[in-house]
Amino acid sequence: MANSVMSLLAHILALFMVFKSTQAKTVTYDFNVTWVMANPDGLYERKVVGINGQWPLPTIEVDQGDRLVVNMFNGLGDKSSSIHFHGMFQNRTNEMDGPSMVTQCPVAPGSSITYNFTVEQHGTYWYHCHTDYCYPDGYRAPLIVHDNSSYFHDMYDEEFTISMSDWYHELMEDITFISRTNPTGAEPLPQSFLFNDTTSGINLSVEPGKTYLLRLVNIGAFVAQYFYIEDHSFQIVEIDGVYTEATNASILYIAVAQRYSVLVTMKNSTEKNYPIVTVADSQLLDTIPSDLKLNSTNWLQYNASAPHPQANITVASCTDLDPYDDMNLVPYDRMELLPDPDLTIELTVYMEDLDNGADYALLNNISYTAPKVPTLYTVLSAGDLATDSLVYGEFTHSMILEHNQVVEVILNNGDTGSHPFHLHGHQFQVINRAPGYGAHFYDFADGDPVAYDPSNHTAFPEYPARRDTFVLPPQGYFVIRFVADNPGVWIFHCHIDWHLMQGLAMVMIEAPLQIQERVTIPENHYEVCKAAGVQYEGNAAGNTEDYLDLTGQNKQVGWLPAGFTTKGIVAMVFSCISAFLGMAFISVYGASGIPKKKPEATEPVDVASTEN
Amino acid sequence: MGNNQVFAVTDAFVIVFFIIFRECLETTVVVSVLLAFLKQTLGEGDDRTIYKRLVKQVWWGCALGLFLCLAIGCGMIGAFYGLGTDTFSSTEDIWEGVLGILASLIITIMGAALLRVSKLQDKWRIKLSKALAHDQAPNETRKGRMKRWMEKYVMFFLPFITVLREGLEAVVYVGGVGLGLPASSFPLAVFCGLLAGCSVGYLIYKGGRETSMQIFLIISTCFLYLVAAGLFSRGVWYFQNNAWNHIIGGDASETGSGPGSYDIDQSVWHVNCCNPELNGGGGWGIFNALLGWTNSATYGSVIGYNLYWLCVMIAYAMMYYTERYGPIPYIHPAMRKLASIKGRTKAFVLCQHYEKDGSEASTLQVEASGGIQHSLVADEKNAGGSSTLMQRTVTDS
Repeated sequence: MANSVMSLLAHILALFMVFKSTQAKTVTYDFNVTWVMANPDGLYERKVVGINGQWPLPTIEVDQGDRLVVNMFNGLGDKSSSIHFHGMFQNRTNEMDGPSMVTQCPVAPGSSITYNFTVEQHGTYWYHCHTDYCYPDGYRAPLIVHDNSSYFHDMYDEEFTISMSDWYHELMEDITFISRTNPTGAEPLPQSFLFNDTTSGINLSVEPGKTYLLRLVNIGAFVAQYFYIEDHSFQIVEIDGVYTEATNASILYIAVAQRYSVLVTMKNSTEKNYPIVTVADSQLLDTIPSDLKLNSTNWLQYNASAPHPQANITVASCTDLDPYDDMNLVPYDRMELLPDPDLTIELTVYMEDLDNGADYALLNNISYTAPKVPTLYTVLSAGDLATDSLVYGEFTHSMILEHNQVVEVILNNGDTGSHPFHLHGHQFQVINRAPGYGAHFYDFADGDPVAYDPSNHTAFPEYPARRDTFVLPPQGYFVIRFVADNPGVWIFHCHIDWHLMQGLAMVMIEAPLQIQERVTIPENHYEVCKAAGVQYEGNAAGNTEDYLDLTGQNKQVGWLPAGFTTKGIVAMVFSCISAFLGMAFISVYGASGIPKKKPEATEPVDVASTEN
Repeated sequence: MGNNQVFAVTDAFVIVFFIIFRECLETTVVVSVLLAFLKQTLGEGDDRTIYKRLVKQVWWGCALGLFLCLAIGCGMIGAFYGLGTDTFSSTEDIWEGVLGILASLIITIMGAALLRVSKLQDKWRIKLSKALAHDQAPNETRKGRMKRWMEKYVMFFLPFITVLREGLEAVVYVGGVGLGLPASSFPLAVFCGLLAGCSVGYLIYKGGRETSMQIFLIISTCFLYLVAAGLFSRGVWYFQNNAWNHIIGGDASETGSGPGSYDIDQSVWHVNCCNPELNGGGGWGIFNALLGWTNSATYGSVIGYNLYWLCVMIAYAMMYYTERYGPIPYIHPAMRKLASIKGRTKAFVLCQHYEKDGSEASTLQVEASGGIQHSLVADEKNAGGSSTLMQRTVTDS
């Protein structure tokens, strides 16, 4: 008896301990979003999106298991917005994901929205505006989910969060991009590259012998960054929120939206300060202006009074840097390669000029064009038709995934640029890619694109790395797998914001009937729609009567005619007619002299004949 | 995202060959027309010596033109290489546009003259032989002497100018295209181009000798006009291409012949092949040179082409009418009036008293003062209007 009481007590105690350690709190942020002035690169003061009158924006910090509540008021006055919490699964809270016209309506100026969800993950994330092209105007910052029980928690003394990003001097709306005057689709060039939202040089104060956790986030809109620290190597312990087995590396390639956490152990002397070097991937840039500073130097500051040397760049081009290939990382949980897929989605990226002469991006033959009703709202209002991809419109490139299917996405690149692809709501397994990072990364860039061949590829890893943003090599391919165990509407897109603008996106409608069971839209989100004048019921065309009738849906720009159109044929025929008529006039005029001159014209002939 | 247009060495031959062939053909067409003309008007009988002299003149004209264009061309190529940049390529389109329209106008006027020459065959024959046989009169005016001199050497100047123009064009094109090419790729291609161009020209000449001159001239004039219409349209096209290059901030042909290489707002048709601009254009280059073909027609080039022919038709209809029924009412007097206005303006600019017709000068004055009076009246009206307006505002207040 006493024994059993003891064991019961022990049980209660154990339960209490568990409760204590997982005690979840609610973290609330009130964001009043307005325009503020900022000059992060010291070159140009511009309007940026500030929160509560401040820019740089606050880093959101929560503990794993916390409830995060963000009340956002859009005080921009002239621009809609929303927040996407990049990398969050949003399991059962699909409506809190943030992309406008996918899971919510754009938050019009003057209205408010509340995001409210439980953070079940851990690691390094970020949040950014996901409405049209608003985050390059400054609306982006890291989001850190602390986890005291991580395997490396005891391996470091202190942590730093480092953000890097490209920076434009002009407002997005003032930059000409999708236009007939930019037929090659050359992405606008940034004016500078920021490190923790500045170019003035950051000193991370370190103590000799200690180990630090650096959380690296590329919160840029376009340009990837190489990262290394002079004379220091590090251990990768996390990518995109997934813990990995500690792996030594010395150079990283961090595409936009990607995150890495690395452990760096300090040297034992305090004689020198060491440059932390970030190098912009200039291969992405159409041209490199002479005044654009591609490298930036910040420091591990061992000793504030010692000199702070500039980075000693030993390579002629950033392509000579040999970054660690994230394909080789092994997740700490050693999750095995998923079995053969139930559904394979094969896609190819194309960049093409459409009928208006402007350059667009396409996955297969579709350039993502936002529907009239947010896709999640169509799922919820379509009833049984929600399983028919037609109701989501022909130009949203919607794919229906069945619940718990193993899905494989084969993404081929028909373009000569690299593309960091991001899938909302998942951390997918990266099981194949060619070419990999390193000296051969640009091998396919010249010549014809190389497509993935299912019967001839390198072996899939036993424990594939998982992440939420993965880089597609120039004219190469990658293959990813995931389980459709998170019912929701998830957009899969290139995270280069210019390319998203050009339509490089598609939508995964994961288990639509389960979405209908699990998701309830809060009243506040419907009010957002009403304020924005956006329909929240109906199919992609806003039709609430007949969900299969897409009359009036938003369409992508038509195809560029490859040859003669009616206009051309008419012009050609007219040109031929006028040429023949003209020659007829000449001939008539020329011949009109003949009969008159005939007797005289024969004269020399006569002379000649008599001579002969 | 930029595509690099890299010329392979194997392409070099094709490029240079077609440029030379094209220019050489244009030259030989003109030269062969002249030779055929001489042959048929003066080839037989007592004009033999004059004929030989004129043929010699034609060849001298060719030779001198060739020499001069080689000399200038060498200088230009030296300058290109010396500058070491493609300064030239930035203005290439304007240059080609101006050249094209100029060449088109020259060919047009020349073509009309050639047809007229055939009509006034004997008059010309006499005039030509007279001009060539006689020494100059002792008491000629300077203008007359110049005119006579030009007439005397017309058979020199026509081929001279043609060879010089086409030759310089060839030098410019080859120089512009070939800057990145190894020098060894030139001679064979140039030789082949010349050979092909001359042999086709010779065939035209041979054909010209056997047909009756009038028909030959009609056919060759039609042919020349086709070339000229193409050149005119091409000239306009180059101007538009230049504007497009400025808009996109680069060389449109760098994007190949596909989308983006042309302005969609100006496009009438575009086929993603058959580009006469790339790699010498191959067969399409010849098609372009002879008939003005383009894979990317613009409103300007199509309208230019049709407008050219329309002008040709009107001009020929007028010439036809004039020849049959005399001066055309309204138009001839108008042209005469225009000429006299021109003369008057010239006199006015030179601050000289217009002596030719005193009464005309006075009417001009009257007209002028009338104009002033008229404008004064208008001013008064305006003033009246404003004053009434003022009155109205006063009463309103």
